[in-house]
This record gives sequence, structure tokens and C-alpha cells, in this order.
Amino acid sequence: MRRTLLGPIARAGALLALVGLLGLAAACGGDDETAPATTETPAATTEEAPATTEEAPATTEEAPATTEEPAAPAITVMGVVAPEKANDYGWNQQGVEGAQTAADSIGAELLVADGAGYEDVTPILNQLADDGVQFIIAQASGYNTAAPEFAQATGIPVITYDKPDNTTPGLVADISTSSQQGAYLAGILAAKMSKTGTLGIVESADDTNWHKQAGGFVAGARSVNPDVKVILTQIGQAGYADAAGGKRVTESVIAGGADVVFGMGDGSSFGMLQAVETATPPEGADTVWFIDVIGDKSSIDEKGVLLSSVLWDFTQIFEQALADIAAGTFGNQGYDLNVSNGLSLLQTDHIPADVWAEIETAAAGIADGSIEIPLTPALDDVNALIGG
Amino acid sequence: MSKVLTETFLTALVAGGLLAGVPLLLAALGESISERAGVLNIGLEGMMLLGGYVGFSGALYSGFTWVGFAAGIGAGMFVAVFMAVLCVRLGLDQIVVGIALTLAAEGLTSLLHGAILTERPRLGAVELVTIPGLSGIPVLGRSVFSQHLVVYLTLGLVIFTWWLFRSTNAGLNLRAAGDKPSALDAAGVSVVATRTWAVLATGALGGLGGAYLAIVGAGTFEPFMTNGAGFIAIVIAMLARARPFWVVVGALLIGMSLQLQTALQVASIDVPIDVVNMLPFLAVIVVLLLFGRRAYLPAALGLPYVRGSR
Repeated sequence: MRRTLLGPIARAGALLALVGLLGLAAACGGDDETAPATTETPAATTEEAPATTEEAPATTEEAPATTEEPAAPAITVMGVVAPEKANDYGWNQQGVEGAQTAADSIGAELLVADGAGYEDVTPILNQLADDGVQFIIAQASGYNTAAPEFAQATGIPVITYDKPDNTTPGLVADISTSSQQGAYLAGILAAKMSKTGTLGIVESADDTNWHKQAGGFVAGARSVNPDVKVILTQIGQAGYADAAGGKRVTESVIAGGADVVFGMGDGSSFGMLQAVETATPPEGADTVWFIDVIGDKSSIDEKGVLLSSVLWDFTQIFEQALADIAAGTFGNQGYDLNVSNGLSLLQTDHIPADVWAEIETAAAGIADGSIEIPLTPALDDVNALIGG
Repeated sequence: MSKVLTETFLTALVAGGLLAGVPLLLAALGESISERAGVLNIGLEGMMLLGGYVGFSGALYSGFTWVGFAAGIGAGMFVAVFMAVLCVRLGLDQIVVGIALTLAAEGLTSLLHGAILTERPRLGAVELVTIPGLSGIPVLGRSVFSQHLVVYLTLGLVIFTWWLFRSTNAGLNLRAAGDKPSALDAAGVSVVATRTWAVLATGALGGLGGAYLAIVGAGTFEPFMTNGAGFIAIVIAMLARARPFWVVVGALLIGMSLQLQTALQVASIDVPIDVVNMLPFLAVIVVLLLFGRRAYLPAALGLPYVRGSR
């Protein structure tokens, strides 16, 4: 069961159009001015968020015991708020689809408020509360101020991202991501598939998770080829949706000799994909490959250039959260997305069997702790890793 | 310094600068026509945005990129019709109407994108035209002489506009409409008609610029994807003083400023990103400081023409 609220972007669009018309009317007077609209770009994480669960320990020990609290009533209606439309083959789609699967697993109805943007989402959360939701997934780190306040005010439990301090018994549970783990596997794949020995990394923004993944990618690549050359680029401070920038930067990376591009982008990754499709392979290579993150773009990969993707599947964590709510232990500790519960590498037909076997071995090593991956939450950390 | 002068760096700089500069060039060229006729077209951003949306949709649903470009031109002209009717015919405030049109286009394209392009469609690779011989030149060859046909047509449009301004009666009429519209009126030429055609031409070129950005520059459409390119184009047109070849210089300068960060990163030159991100805007400020006071603006720019009022 899934209902979709009127997308707030659509409402914002209608509002902007109305403002435009009002501006036209104001022009008749000749003196009024209409303020230009400001745009927000989507963000997967906040910069201030600690990079890993190692840095931000779970709050189980600190949290007061909740066993005295009665177990919450069974969830029959839950909601998810996502900043962009859930059709991006990425962060928003993965969040909504994971929520849908988790809701289905307990027979609950899911209310979807996607395209909510990055402004204050309190009105949307209140609307969901009015519609009877008993649990909300706030699918953006940009919501990790408004959502906990909403939970405190209403008593409705929420999930937030990348701010472990938010975790509050009975009300808020935070999800951190060990995203470098999946990227490490992608690095192994890239180094194995590259013929030029040069790999490209394109980050859309100054984003902690992107940097962590870039570091994991470099470490993975160097684990199989220490001499591999890495070109690291960033579209801008917040170029998540800058598809034109994605294409421009990716073309430059390929011109620099990279024949495998690891792209982290949201909307900008569509531009990266087109750049890879259009590119003339650098000298020494006959193909340019693209490795994506978070979602699976196989269905729109018409030219067959998508080598793989670091998938972020939140389903297991959402299901665990529902179980914790039922048990009355929600918010006693945060969650960590890692290779054991949702991070994985997409297997495509382009990956040779022996390479895939090596990747699976590495994944097992990460899971059992025998492989340690450096943490690079800042761009300087990644540059130092590449330089070192 | 040795890293900067590598072929890798220069190729990345020129190729990326062209990709980013062409939409600016088209829009600024259109704005030059409009400004020369006395109409300050603040709605250029909206024309680009609607041109991008409609152009992308046209290419997507027809399967032909040229249909997309034609649709983008039409969409830009559609927005320009409002500008022409409200500002040229009815004499409303050009700045207010321009801002309103931009806001309306932003809202409309976001709304349509959310409602219609629900599956996040995208276009595949576009065909490039490689000029034999010239494309083999180091650095500039692949960067400049292997482009989409629209890029070459744009350069042709620059020459055409230069010729139009310099050697035709239409060019003189445009100038008169911007500098002394009453004189043009007295000569028996309609100021309203001249300005209307100029605004429509601006819409066409702005729409084409937006369509190029969506079809060639990105292969998809994203809400607000012009990111203020229309406003930068207005600045370029003003600083170029309606001289088409200076418009080319300005557009490529801004385009390369945008691309410089990437080129430095590709060449593994460690420069703080924040500093490099400032460069496009720094370039505009420097040019304004150097040439701003000498910038030529038509005497009647932004003023509605009312017969007999002056």
C-alpha cells in the first residue's frame, strides 16, 4: 500500500508560478519588485556528520533504559519524507523503496512525501502526523534538526541520518553509513578492469560520504594495483543536481586518461553517464566504464557502460527499526549501514567471474574485520591518501 | 607551472570551457540584440530554462535532437512574447516583468518536471562533427574541432549578428530603437515592431542556449539547471557593449573560469577549491572594474517608448 502526497516541489512550483503571475500584475504599477527564487541543491549528508560509527559510538550505553516504557502499539501507517522525487535511481529512490519493503513486511501502509526539498519540513511532518503515521523516516541529513524536534513534540518516532547524537530512546534513531566499505570493493573492480592504469573519481559536492567513498575506492584499487593513478575531481560545493557539470567534469577526467570513472552524484550522475557514453576511450583502452553509487541505473544504461554500482539498501535497517519499535527499544542505539546489512556491489554482465570472486573475498574480509579501510571524511584526507 | 602547460590540462580547460561557454554565448548574443533595441531582457534566465525543458522533451519524445533544438527555440520565443506584449506593447517595467517571467518559468518547469518526467528520462550520446585535419591539431584540435553542429552554427550566428549590426538597415533600426526611438519613429519605422522582433530574437537564442545545455550539455533536464546562466549572459552582453565578437570572448572567459577548477584537479594541481570556485565571479568583477565605466548602454535602454513623450 502506498499513497503519494502532493510533492512539495510541485506545490513549490505552483507557488512560484503564482508568484510570477503576481509579479506580472505588480509590474502594472511599475514600482514593485519580486525577489528572485533561491534554489537548493540536494544533499545526501551533512558535512558535520561524523564519518563512521567508529567515530560516533552507538548511544546504547548513554541512553537511559526504556524497559519501563510499554511497547508501542503495532505500526499500521508509516511515512517517509525525501528531499527529491523518488525516481532518481539513487538516494531518494533507495530510501522510499526500502521503506516500502519494510512497510510491506509488517502489512503497514506507507505514506510517501517525496520532493520535499531542503527547507524546514516541519509542516510536511505535521501533515503526515495528521494522516495518522506512527513512524517516519526522514530521508535526508538536512532534516536532522527538524525531525527530532518533531519527534519530541509529537512522540512519533523518526529516523534521521548522519547525526548519531540525535539518537534518543523511544523517539529518534540515527543511521550512519560505512560507505567506504562498498567503495573499497568498487576500487578493486576498477583497478582490475582498467587498461590505462588511470582511474577517475568525480564527486558532485563537498560531502563527507563522497569523501569516505573516494578514500575507500582508492584503497581498494591500490590493494590490487599499488601503481594505479587516480584523478580526483569535484564538480562544486553542492553540485548534486548539476548534470551539465557532471558531464563537463567527467569528460575532462576521461581526457586525462581515466578509463574507469567512479561517479558520486545524485542528479549530476546522469550527466556523468552521458559523458562516459559519448567519450572517445583514452589511449590504451577500448572502453570507458562507469561505476555509480547508491542506486541501480542498469535499466537506463542503453550503451552498456555501467560497470557496477555501490548499492545502499536500507531495507534491513528499516525492518530492524520497526522491530525495535515493536519491542520498545527504538532509539536505544543508532544503526550503521555496512557490507553486512545493506552495502553491496552491483553485479553486472561486464564483470568477469574471477574478478567477482575476488570482490566477494574482499567483502568477506571487510565483514570479518580482517580488511581495514582508511577513513577519509574530508577532501584533504582523500588527497593525502592519493598522494601518499 | 610545468603541470599547467601539459596537454591534459589545456585540453580539459578548452574542451570544458567550450561546453560551459556555448549556452552563455547563445544567450548573451540574444541579449545583445535586445539591449541594442532598448529592451533590458531580465527574463533571459526564464527563456533559457523553458527552452531547456521543452527542448529536452522535444528531443526525448521525437527521438531527434534537432526537433528538440527547434522546440527550445519555440519555447524561448513563447516567453519572449510575454516580454514583448507586456513591456514593448504595454510599456510595463522591464525589470519587474523580466523577474516575474523568470520566476514563472522556474516554477513551471519544476512543476512539469515533477509531473511529467517522472521516470527521470535522459538522452543518449549526441553526435559530434569532427572537422578533418583540424581535429588533429594538438590541444585545440580535439577540444575545438570536434563539437556538436550547434557550436559551429553558433559561431556562424556571431558573424551574422556582427554583419547585421554593422551593415544592414535592420541593424541601424535596432540601434535607433535603443538610442533615439523618436528619431526612428519619425523616419517611419515602427519602434514597437523593431523592439518586438529584437525581443523575439532574444527568446529564440536564449531558448536555443537552454536546449543546448539540456540536450548536449547534460543529456537530461533538472529543475533550475541553468543556475543563473541567463543573468551571467546579461552581464556579458552589457560588458561586450553589443559587440558580438566581445560576447564570444566574455562567454568563453566565463566558461573557462568555470572549468579551471576541473582542469587543475585533472592535472593534480592542489589549489583550494573555494578559491577556484570564486574565479567566474571574480572574473566578472575584474572586468566590471576595468571596463565597466566605459560600457556603452543605449540611451533608451529599459525605457518604454511612447510616441510624442520625448
